[in-house]
Amino acid sequence: MSTTTIIARRELSSYFRLPVGWFTIALFLFLCGCVFALAVLEPGRVASLRAFFGAAGWLLLPVVPAISMRLFSEEMRSGTIEPLITSPARESSIVLGKYLGAVMMLGLMLLPTLLYAWVLAKVSARPPEFGPLAAGYLSLFLPGVFYLAVGTLCSALTNNQTLAFLGSLFILLAIMLASALGPGIAPAWMQPALRWISFDARIQDFAKGVIDLRHVIFFFAASVLPLVLAGVALRARRLG
Amino acid sequence: MLLLRDLHKWYGDFHALRGVSFSASRGQVVGLLGPNGAGKTTSIRIITGVFPPTSGTVEVANTPVLTRPEEARRHIGYLPESAPLYPEMSVEGYLHYRARLFGFARGEARALIGRALEIGSLDAVRRKRISTLSKGFRQRVGLAAAALHRPGLLVLDEPANGLDPTQIKQMRETIRALASESCVLLSSHILGEVELTCDRVVIIASGTLLADGTPAELRARHAPESAVWVEVAEHEATAALIAIRSASGILGAESVKAENGFRLLRARTRPPAATGEDPLTAAARSLHDVGIVPRTFAPDAPSLERVFHSLLEASAVRTKDAAA
Repeated sequence: MSTTTIIARRELSSYFRLPVGWFTIALFLFLCGCVFALAVLEPGRVASLRAFFGAAGWLLLPVVPAISMRLFSEEMRSGTIEPLITSPARESSIVLGKYLGAVMMLGLMLLPTLLYAWVLAKVSARPPEFGPLAAGYLSLFLPGVFYLAVGTLCSALTNNQTLAFLGSLFILLAIMLASALGPGIAPAWMQPALRWISFDARIQDFAKGVIDLRHVIFFFAASVLPLVLAGVALRARRLG
Repeated sequence: MLLLRDLHKWYGDFHALRGVSFSASRGQVVGLLGPNGAGKTTSIRIITGVFPPTSGTVEVANTPVLTRPEEARRHIGYLPESAPLYPEMSVEGYLHYRARLFGFARGEARALIGRALEIGSLDAVRRKRISTLSKGFRQRVGLAAAALHRPGLLVLDEPANGLDPTQIKQMRETIRALASESCVLLSSHILGEVELTCDRVVIIASGTLLADGTPAELRARHAPESAVWVEVAEHEATAALIAIRSASGILGAESVKAENGFRLLRARTRPPAATGEDPLTAAARSLHDVGIVPRTFAPDAPSLERVFHSLLEASAVRTKDAAA
């Protein structure tokens, strides 16, 4: 088993050993449940989770920073970063391991929401289609993967979890707002570039049930930069 | 096992380490002593690869820490000050995680964990959460984790911090046992503890190495005076003082206090010379010659603490002179 996997497994298990992990999952599922009950489960509507995916996408904005905030901040605050960085693990393995642990946590957090699809299938005359359902989940998971990368970077920059949370929330809100409003208000020459980097348009495509491989690659590729910067931040700390 | 050559570390304008060099071999317990801000933790962090020096080199098991860090770290076990651990993990879970982090397969890890639990006497708490353990047990978990992969160099930063006297004694015994297969570098503020645990002592202050040697060598080199406590009957005190002062190697003697018909005298002595009579023997003989049998005759060797303070004072004087 690689060092990255070992670190990822420890990170994932730590979420379930601490109240903060359970609380984050419970809060997310409670809010998702409310959205499902109020916006999806309406008699006479087409069996679709589209409204749920739309709302859950916004719910991820505060929830993901809550997952990522402790990745490095807590290690730096408590001093456990020293035994970690003096082990034979490389910085890249440490960053990637912690990030993957958080990604798995996100996946596990989304997993129980499959229950909504099952409930919808049971109560509807025509069950929801698999394609839009898979695309809908990608519309949550892929931006979530990017949000976690940003959260990992913010956590690597400070030993204060609250600052890490607020920092990533602020950056993500800025990106989401720029992505949603930018194409409408930016000068014409910037439009193609803004459209290309727009999260909103890609998420909308997924919401429509379109699984475009370019979008999948885009989100993974966009996650690389914050992770590289997190590695740089860790190295910079090491260099004193 | 450990070789430091001309280490310098600058933090901005602050020169934290000024050409520190020393070495240590397997089987030795080396104490790293110095006042707060002396550069102990900086030295330790450079040795363990937390950060690099501004200049100079560190080798652990003939492996340069700067150019081959991952390989060098396999030879290093490190217990940072206050033993930072993951409180949510069990003792066994944490040791398993550390073993896997050092690249050991499950089977190997199990054997190492068994040994580490034995080192720390942790078998009774192996399944307990670290958050529920006392400070002493946490420190032992930290030590067990540092020694888990049988490192050639074990670096312990204030391992006795916050422990009670019984726990300190246990920690000392464990460290001595670990030294049979590793080189142990130990940083501590508890000078008496260092004296009891370490074979060699390295003293640094203001980033400069002040002394390096066994406690006995340092005492001989840096605390030339010893003393002897003599308790005699009150009516024999004056004669005893005259007799002691006349002995060879005695620098002076004075009365300290009287109690219950006895008087306590303190005589300052030179360290025993290679040739000639030992000053303590000479003092005892002088007393015997005048027919005085002391109630107590107790040599008082200079402690490491006295050596430490004398070195620091000398260093402060040198710094002041240089500044002037």
